[in-house]
Amino acid sequence: MLKILIPTLFLLPTTWLTSSKWLWPTALTQSMLIALGSITWLNNTTDTGWTALNSYIGTDPLSTPLLVLSCWLLPLMLLASQNHLSSEPMNRQRMYITLLATLQLFLILAFGATEMIMFYVMFEATLIPTLLVITRWGNQTERLNAGTYFLFYTLAGSLPLLVALLMLQNSTGTLSLLIIPYAKPLLLMPFGSKIWWAACMIAFLVKMPLYGMHLWLPKAHVEAPVAGSMVLAAVLLKLGGYGMMRLMIVLDPLSKEMVYPFIVLALWGVIMTGSICLRQTDLKSLIAYSSVSHMGLVAGGILIQTPWGFTGALILMIAHGLASSALFCLANTNYERTHSRTMLLARGLQIALPLMTTWWFIASLANLALPPLPNLMGELMILTSLFNWSAWTLILTGIGTLITAAYSLYMFLMSQRGPLPQHMLALPPSYTREHLLMALHLIPLLLIILKPALLWGWFAC
Amino acid sequence: MADYREAPLATRPKTLDPNEYFNLSPDYRRAEAERAALRAGLKRQYQLQLNNPHRKELIEDPALNRWVYARANPYNHFKATKKTSLLGALFGVAPLFILYYVFKTDRVCYGGR
Repeated sequence: MLKILIPTLFLLPTTWLTSSKWLWPTALTQSMLIALGSITWLNNTTDTGWTALNSYIGTDPLSTPLLVLSCWLLPLMLLASQNHLSSEPMNRQRMYITLLATLQLFLILAFGATEMIMFYVMFEATLIPTLLVITRWGNQTERLNAGTYFLFYTLAGSLPLLVALLMLQNSTGTLSLLIIPYAKPLLLMPFGSKIWWAACMIAFLVKMPLYGMHLWLPKAHVEAPVAGSMVLAAVLLKLGGYGMMRLMIVLDPLSKEMVYPFIVLALWGVIMTGSICLRQTDLKSLIAYSSVSHMGLVAGGILIQTPWGFTGALILMIAHGLASSALFCLANTNYERTHSRTMLLARGLQIALPLMTTWWFIASLANLALPPLPNLMGELMILTSLFNWSAWTLILTGIGTLITAAYSLYMFLMSQRGPLPQHMLALPPSYTREHLLMALHLIPLLLIILKPALLWGWFAC
Repeated sequence: MADYREAPLATRPKTLDPNEYFNLSPDYRRAEAERAALRAGLKRQYQLQLNNPHRKELIEDPALNRWVYARANPYNHFKATKKTSLLGALFGVAPLFILYYVFKTDRVCYGGR
């Protein structure tokens, strides 16, 4: 664990001490080496599951895929931001990379935490660099509103979690993830234990986000610069899912009654946010709502607490992280050329930028869960485990899958096919950097097809 | 000028229709001329921008901006009328209760099948 943490920590002196000529290549190389080193975490050989274990941090098959995803994303974020930051003063560029690196550090500590309070502190700590990135480097005036929504929704959801964790600590004496599965359940009065259950889950449900509490997400995703959108969509949403999966073990007998409203919200949210996607004019907003839709499915898979549900949720989280981040990068390539996110403006790009169309095609197919991509594997596992939970969910998830296919195709056809606007002059051809960025997103997604068992969590037998 | 004939997909513009020309009052014709002058001014602005060799950015279309803003900010102008309340109840509130009832009954009575 230290072989990843120390280089990530030392990315901070690197950004401030290298000369301006070598800042970006150095930061990129260091973060790429960290990412390649983090892949070794996927090797889980111990019987109990916990590898790289010490008093504070450890990795187990549930957290390693998410850790590798967040480490993999940092070089991609740096690649994506290079262009739009190149016109800014050096200190601001260094500050941006510093914020991304500290976010990375907090994310590694969050996913690797074995103690729930450490996870909670890191969960909250990730809000600060993200808020700074959204509000200081966003492009429109709405970014302040977006930052406020983002911060206060998540904070309001997570303060009850602090109280709930402290109550658990008082009763059990420890909050270590290795011990609390075997501890006595928390005995409160019936209504009190329902409140305690809700307090534990609300923070993560707001983060995921669940349909009723999702208002922060389109604002934050749209107003953030590309690296902010990437990390929000790919990793920060998954913090919510990860937290839910960890805490579900402790909440057990209560969950049978309490999950119904949240599963209903999650599944209805899949359909509603999918339908909203079909009406969006703003490309980033469409991708943001599609994230809510996929995460609704993940929330449904986690809340029913079955092995296939958890496995499907984990695979869908990783696959969606890569696909969604890829789509945000593609939206950014459009934005850098036209300085507008309106889909109507940037149409017919297949004629102008044919090679980028390949990446648009693969990313759109990944979004609509085409076989044999891991997105489909995650969705199918969640679908079947929900069907086992109650047969009527099939109607909702089936319609949801149809609508997902509809809006993914709509996004692809709107941006690539159709007439190219005649007044667009300065469309620089796709840079190699952009092709590299898309390749680094989508080639891992294609490679996962060959061994998805790496990402199955605890149930990879 | 050559005689303008109507084509299947291009109807005769109002300005070239002789029936319209002779039956109109001078006030109406003056107003039409002013409107045509405004339109021509807008077209001239667009053509200037389109053919400007030093232009690097997109030509801004205020109508598109207004439309995008309207599509993106519905909540600022939301009013609770009978129609919107009905739609909200039908798609936002009722399905939650119906689905809760369906799932609960299915799992409790039929064991989830």
